[in-house]
Amino acid sequence: MKGLVFLSVFLVAVYSQKLFIGDQVLRIKAENDEQISILQSLETQEHLQLDFWLHPANPEFPVDIRIPFSNVQAVKVLLESNNIQYSVLIDDVQAVLDEEQHELEVNQKRERLTKSFNFGAYHKLETIYGWMDTLVTQYPNLVSKINIGSTYEGRPMYVLKFSTGGNKRPGIWIDTGIHSREWVTQATGVWTANKIATDYGRDSSITTLLNSMDVFLLILANPDGYAFTHSNNRMWRKTRSKTSGSCIGVDPNRNWNAGFSGPGASNNPCSDSYHGPYAQSEVEVNNIVTFIQQHGQIKSFISVHSYSQLLMVPYGYTCDKPADYQELENVGKSAASALKSLYGTSYQVGNICDVIYPASGGSIDWSYDYGIKYSFAFELRDTGRYGFILPANQIIPTAQETWLGLMHIMQYVQAHPY
Amino acid sequence: MCWTLWIALGLFPLVDGHPTLKTDQNSLEAADTALNHQNGTLNSVLHLDDREKAALEPTWVDPAFPMKELNTSHYPATRAAKVAEHYLNYHHGSPSKWFMVHAIERATSEDIPEVGTKYHIQFSVQEQATKKIVENCIAEILFRQTEGQSTPEVNCTCDDLLKIKTSDADHALYHHIKHQPHLVTGTDIPDSQGNIPKEMEPLWYLGGIGASFIMWQQSNESTLYNMAHIHNVKQLNSENDLLAFDYVVLLHEMVSQEIIHWHMQVAWNPTQGVTVTQCHLLPKDTMKQPSAE
Repeated sequence: MKGLVFLSVFLVAVYSQKLFIGDQVLRIKAENDEQISILQSLETQEHLQLDFWLHPANPEFPVDIRIPFSNVQAVKVLLESNNIQYSVLIDDVQAVLDEEQHELEVNQKRERLTKSFNFGAYHKLETIYGWMDTLVTQYPNLVSKINIGSTYEGRPMYVLKFSTGGNKRPGIWIDTGIHSREWVTQATGVWTANKIATDYGRDSSITTLLNSMDVFLLILANPDGYAFTHSNNRMWRKTRSKTSGSCIGVDPNRNWNAGFSGPGASNNPCSDSYHGPYAQSEVEVNNIVTFIQQHGQIKSFISVHSYSQLLMVPYGYTCDKPADYQELENVGKSAASALKSLYGTSYQVGNICDVIYPASGGSIDWSYDYGIKYSFAFELRDTGRYGFILPANQIIPTAQETWLGLMHIMQYVQAHPY
Repeated sequence: MCWTLWIALGLFPLVDGHPTLKTDQNSLEAADTALNHQNGTLNSVLHLDDREKAALEPTWVDPAFPMKELNTSHYPATRAAKVAEHYLNYHHGSPSKWFMVHAIERATSEDIPEVGTKYHIQFSVQEQATKKIVENCIAEILFRQTEGQSTPEVNCTCDDLLKIKTSDADHALYHHIKHQPHLVTGTDIPDSQGNIPKEMEPLWYLGGIGASFIMWQQSNESTLYNMAHIHNVKQLNSENDLLAFDYVVLLHEMVSQEIIHWHMQVAWNPTQGVTVTQCHLLPKDTMKQPSAE
């Protein structure tokens, strides 16, 4: 009832000018039936223009009255002279209405910004960073932004944390864009962040997941490289660090401390798979390692790449299978099946070394050997027709189908604590 | 360089490129015959009698040359199938017809000492313009063990390849380009967002078919090539009835992750198909790289 009255008051406020300046809402605690009678007689005093939000019925329940400014003092005197206890619930009704109106407009604007964001297009780095801020503002109780450190060129690395509370709940890590030319991955990261935020509270699976686990999403794992793909070279893969000689950059997915400088990585600084001068030489890799180690409760580590349509498990630095291979392969195959169910996109599943190539110093090999059992690497669409330059109209379908694969993995992780 | 290779390869189907092997080769030779091209034309319909079918089944012919069953999800099979894809595209592609491997059904390989490794792949392909799937492709790919790169030797046939009819589209395109007042040109195909203007699509396809020749040539067991981007294309003046184009293409090699620039000239008409008349490798940083808007 109160809500309905409040709504009608609010609507009046919206459509007319300020009608409630100085009006107060009092909460009255009647002690006995006699006081209730007095309050009931007040209701009949039409000239007072009292607006009862909670009507006097019996002493067990409070009586709430909105009183026009001009009559506030008179009513208070009446109550006091009858020893009727009251407190001021709202000091100035108009002020509350103004604040609500303001908040409504701000929220509508924010919603327009996040809803009007074109998920079916590729965006510049600054645009993605701006959008991340609007997402955090839009969903302050779910999403926060963590700066895990700077890149070689001084750009911040922002991780979005999705959490409903708790104290260092077990977490799931997802990174996209570590190879900057793989644009569908950063775009998928943006769509996925939005998906998690908007589905929480509406979809039971993600809601259940977030009620006991946190999700950490690093959309731009290689911001310097990403900026370079916009300004200079669409095909840039590596970081932008200057080591020795004239060639720039290290392959960030050969730089992890897992079989470092082994097969499938080059020691030539000019190579697109240059592993770097030493493991974790790249500050971008180091920032992620530090974050994961300091968190201490990450239970799944998922790196997203493109292209080839693969869902892979460790190892890349050796073709020997990890101890948990059978379980990981099973999870991978079910996830690929879920992914395929949407648009028929086929993924091959297996260990990196056998499915694509031996590749040492990779992120999921590091995470697995660190103790994060559920380590997976995706290679998204396509299989080579467009390759890295996937048409923007495939971003959303790719993100939608990938989401099904990701959710399968995340639900499995939640159901299998270790 | 490329045109001499083209002549040599044009003659290839007339030559039995298969090594003479040791004892008990009858079944293998039967399989070879069944798979060989006849006089350079495509044997598109594979009629096998029971003996030939049996010959195609992988058998342990000789413990010295075992046929190994391959996992179709693993890279030895996918790399070999990709070579077959490039071969198929170069021999049957056009500005209206471009194939991609759709699914690998079965793959085997055999190591032939002092020769190389021969792969047998059963797979399906999808044509990109019509989206039609062509099942029952069979390819035999021989990677010779040589000093330096040598072109893989490929035999490839598909049931119903001829069911993909694009001659009308090809002829229409040919006449359209022939009667343009100006020579056609294009740059950045696709653009950074993956867009390709409708009128550029045939040039994109043609570039892909031409690039297939280079990718086939350059492939070995340690590579997997795709065409990543067309930097630019310009039509050349041509005195005969062939249309001619000059391309700079970017190839992506998956194993090294390198982007490799090639310059090529491509000739085409609907009856003769696509031919790469010239090609050469460009140095890594020859030109300004493609950039986003």
